[in-house]
Amino acid sequence: MTGTSSDREQLRPGLWATVNERYPGSMITKPDLVPLARLEKSLAQTRLTFVSTAGVQPKGTLPFDVVHPVGDYSFRRVPSTAEPADLEIHQLKYPTDGANRDLNVIFPIERLRELAAEGVVGGLTPDFFSFIGYNMDPERLERTLAEEIAAAVAADGAEAALLAPA
Amino acid sequence: MQRAIERRGVPTVSVTVARDVTEHATPPRAVFVPFMMGHHFGVPFHWDLQRRIVLEALDRLGKAERSGEIHDVPVTWAEARREGVAIERALGLRTERRPG
Repeated sequence: MTGTSSDREQLRPGLWATVNERYPGSMITKPDLVPLARLEKSLAQTRLTFVSTAGVQPKGTLPFDVVHPVGDYSFRRVPSTAEPADLEIHQLKYPTDGANRDLNVIFPIERLRELAAEGVVGGLTPDFFSFIGYNMDPERLERTLAEEIAAAVAADGAEAALLAPA
Repeated sequence: MQRAIERRGVPTVSVTVARDVTEHATPPRAVFVPFMMGHHFGVPFHWDLQRRIVLEALDRLGKAERSGEIHDVPVTWAEARREGVAIERALGLRTERRPG
């Protein structure tokens, strides 16, 4: 069946406004555009990383603080070789019913490994990067966590990054 | 976050289920899927769909021409769920209620 245009609208409309009403100042608006960095090689030669806000982390690592009033501004490394059974989710702010049955719906680690094994992408960085969304101080996030992850992504030799802001 | 990575010379693309949030944040490249929050790559065990969303996003790395563009992926949540249910039935993960 073909979807109508209304099927293609966001399932939870007005998210920016409703979240910002609940947590004033938590949502960002960026009028300026960042110049595009160019892909230097074909995808098949490009080493990819993945950055997620889904709160996915290796079992046994310090759980994200999901109840801190201003948020948790730390990140975890998730080995790109990890099995879903080795990972768990610490985040309350999105429905995890799908992810609890198949982590790939929010953290497609197995699909990315398959694409690398098939040569569709040139490879994966040893680690992926994970943190939690719904941090209440976007300026702090931009100043600290965003720069720390960006530095780690670049230092780990990523040549492209896929992101899934949950 | 995405903007910080792009500024270091690493091309980025995000998958979003909240078009309005992405329109405000203006990341360099994004694809929008009209899926439930927390289900950016579709539904459980629907590996073809998960793969497709990843590939639709990665495709933008070479194709996007203007920063801030959001590409709409022609999928629907209703269809994804319907296909997901059929896959779970085929895998024996979902049992049918039989009449009587």
